Amino acid sequence: MLEIRNLTAAYAAIPAIRDISLTVPEGGIVSIIGANGAGKSTLLKAISGLIQKKSGSIRFAGQDIICERANRIVARGISHVAEGRQIFAHMKVEDNIHLGAYLYHRRRHRQELQEHIRQVYEMFPVLGRRSRQIAGTLSGGEQQMLAIARALMARPKLLLLDEPSMGLAPLVVHDIFAIIQRLNQMGTTILLVEQNARAALRIAAYAYVLETGQMVLEGPAATLLTDSRVKAAYLGG
Amino acid sequence: MNMASLAGQLLQYIVTGVTIGSIYAMVAIGFNIIYNVTEIINLAQGEFVMLGGLVMVSLHMLWKLPLIAAFPVTVVIVTGIGLLMNYAAIRPIRRPTVLTLIIATIAASMIIKGAAMLIWGTDSFDLTAFSGRTPILIAGAAIQPQYFWVIGFLVVIVAGLTFFFDKTIIGKAMSACSENAAAAQLVGIDVRWMVLLSFALSAAIGAIAGITMTPIALMDYDRGAMLAIKGFGAAVLGGLGSFPGAIVGGLMMGLIESLGAGFLWSGYKDAYALAALLIVLFIRPSGIMGNRDVIRFKRF
Repeated sequence: MLEIRNLTAAYAAIPAIRDISLTVPEGGIVSIIGANGAGKSTLLKAISGLIQKKSGSIRFAGQDIICERANRIVARGISHVAEGRQIFAHMKVEDNIHLGAYLYHRRRHRQELQEHIRQVYEMFPVLGRRSRQIAGTLSGGEQQMLAIARALMARPKLLLLDEPSMGLAPLVVHDIFAIIQRLNQMGTTILLVEQNARAALRIAAYAYVLETGQMVLEGPAATLLTDSRVKAAYLGG
Repeated sequence: MNMASLAGQLLQYIVTGVTIGSIYAMVAIGFNIIYNVTEIINLAQGEFVMLGGLVMVSLHMLWKLPLIAAFPVTVVIVTGIGLLMNYAAIRPIRRPTVLTLIIATIAASMIIKGAAMLIWGTDSFDLTAFSGRTPILIAGAAIQPQYFWVIGFLVVIVAGLTFFFDKTIIGKAMSACSENAAAAQLVGIDVRWMVLLSFALSAAIGAIAGITMTPIALMDYDRGAMLAIKGFGAAVLGGLGSFPGAIVGGLMMGLIESLGAGFLWSGYKDAYALAALLIVLFIRPSGIMGNRDVIRFKRF
């Protein structure tokens, strides 16, 4: 579904990525693990169009998207839940949800839209209860759910998740990962970037290890979980 | 001087102040719309007002278009110039930073002013007042009917914008761009289109300010800069980016100016409001309605 070949991107203050190749098969969960500053977020931003690429190719559903702008890439079916959630904190929860479906408002599918909002609230009942609350007043876990819910409103085929567990209590992390698995079972392909390597490897089928902007290791997630180098560097020995 | 005439005079100055203040508030709203989406201070905002007045004068006085037709045509023309400015001065900049973009708006304002001088010359032009010039006498104050038009248009603009930003998805998308441009792109909002829209809206509001003020204050090619300074002052006074702040700031600037000129020395008319602005900024740098927490993250 997503094919990246020899991708290089560098931009002022963010960590660079060099010569990255990666494949995300349709219907799967692929994880990218790596330390802080390894370039994981840069890679996701490159895919979603937030930063420009120097060279390489990104093909999504058979089409080259390397030169597309971010708002067009969303329309193609890739939604990016960015690091730090990036919700519209000063707006109501329901406004965030509506803006998630921005592309559908313009195409005037009102009825479908209402149905879709209902489904998302069904999946995240807490957001339904707090729909009129200002998004910035939600707890960290609820904000992460809102960020995911907002991304789902664009009906992505591929969901890019950047550190969904960041800053959350272990119990909440458990909930978020359960949601990710459920989304995957419902047919959404997932590319997950995580510092929490153990959790990320447990739900993925395949995984990559990123170090200082380059892919150093890849393999089935189960294999990486027992790999001595991965154990030493990312799983606490 | 007896009490009755003093009260009448006071009322006169207050009504005049609110009217001038409404103009400043419209200019300030124009600043805020562009600032909220782009963080740019569009220093050509005053030129939109000047163009609104002069284009309207040409259409109505020269080409004899009736007011009711000339008004929308003027707004459309000035909006077009706002869009043109976005395409010609803002978009071509290859590495946009807030500072280079602001400098580009200064360049645009000079070009617009120069072009206006070539077209209209240096004369001041009058425009027919919308409902005649017979003053309405209230408690010893003589109030021009045009004043009500100015204040009325401010109310209409504020109501319209409140609806636009609170109730429509495009308005919410614009607010989303101002809050987090990257996140806005990630939900599919075309930020460049929103920037274009912000210039269009600001130009349209500037044009309305110019059209409604010309029957009171006349209009010439050179008025833009001072209007921009006062409008910017009003925006900063109220808190840059805040729409209620723009109204409060605009009305305060107008009132201080009118009362200062009336009761103190009229020669320092332009100084009073700007002095008040400085005092407010010393005490509260985020402006009257500005959010202190938000202001910390902004570059200007």
